[in-house]
Amino acid sequence: MQIPTLTTERLILRSPRIEDFETFAAFYASDRSRFVGGPMTREESWRMLATEIGHWSLRGFGRWAVEERETGRFCGVIGLWDPAGWPEPEVGWDLMDGFEGRGYATEAGQAARRYAYEVLKLPTLVSMVKEGNTGSAQVAARLGATLEGVVDHERHGRMQVWRHPGPEVAA
Amino acid sequence: MSFVGANIPVLHTERLTLRAPTMQDFETYAEFGASDGTHFIGGPFTRDQVFANLCALTGHWELRGFGRWMIADKETNAALGITGPYYPVGWPEPEIAWTVFTQAQGKSVAFEAATAARRYAYQVLGWETAISCVDPANHRSAALAQRMGARLEGAFKHPDHGHLDIWRHPSPEAAT
Repeated sequence: MQIPTLTTERLILRSPRIEDFETFAAFYASDRSRFVGGPMTREESWRMLATEIGHWSLRGFGRWAVEERETGRFCGVIGLWDPAGWPEPEVGWDLMDGFEGRGYATEAGQAARRYAYEVLKLPTLVSMVKEGNTGSAQVAARLGATLEGVVDHERHGRMQVWRHPGPEVAA
Repeated sequence: MSFVGANIPVLHTERLTLRAPTMQDFETYAEFGASDGTHFIGGPFTRDQVFANLCALTGHWELRGFGRWMIADKETNAALGITGPYYPVGWPEPEIAWTVFTQAQGKSVAFEAATAARRYAYQVLGWETAISCVDPANHRSAALAQRMGARLEGAFKHPDHGHLDIWRHPSPEAAT
């Protein structure tokens, strides 16, 4: 399985790598990660980074490390995610500390969704948003997704399921 | 472009194949993950955690250039356990790690697989030394370290896993 590189107006979506670890671990050590399985210890973050990469091999798709084109800085982990226990494949976004409020999640999320529809030919996509994560729900809404229901996850607890517009509408 | 998992070689021993993990291994791994057999390795694990761990096996190869294999039965390809060179953040140095799923225990599977993994670390990766980190209460694992010729050298305290004994393997010349 190969991890393709995608380019948007301001961002590059590329394979995660070991140089991303300290930023990734800082995000997962912070309270901001409480909606996405954190906070985590350094070793748990390390395993999580390895999981991000290995997901590509087990599922044939996954999440990218997102980089600012202008600065080369690693600013988020965004892409397609379908772990055991998920109701169906989702497009998800985690912005590293200090990169919120710039529209990066929306921009990269849109590119990931286009990849899912055009390259992988997925017929539909959701985004799983942990209850209370209003920032993430806003991104889903901005991408045109609508709140469809809630599910209870064995580890994450109650999560909202946001349904994205289909391939015809979203492309 | 990067090819995830493309750098995971396949090793063969008398009864076993050491190969990249796949989704076909998930149910077997999940069954083991939910059992008490995971007591010494941080479990029991939910299905969600087992999936993450399975992914992380391949991801470790990408991050470090080496990692752990799924141990499979040479005849049936059924997953029997996990072994290989392992070096997550927070470890004192790279180690040779092993886990054997419950139904495959007591058949020297770990010995056969871990010996092949150690040979790979020495001959292919060029390691000059190797350790194995073992929970002191995990007598089965300590016995295997001993059987492989390793000596109890000391211990360290891991922030997540607590006290772990460090077993030092024989040098490349002595071990092969």
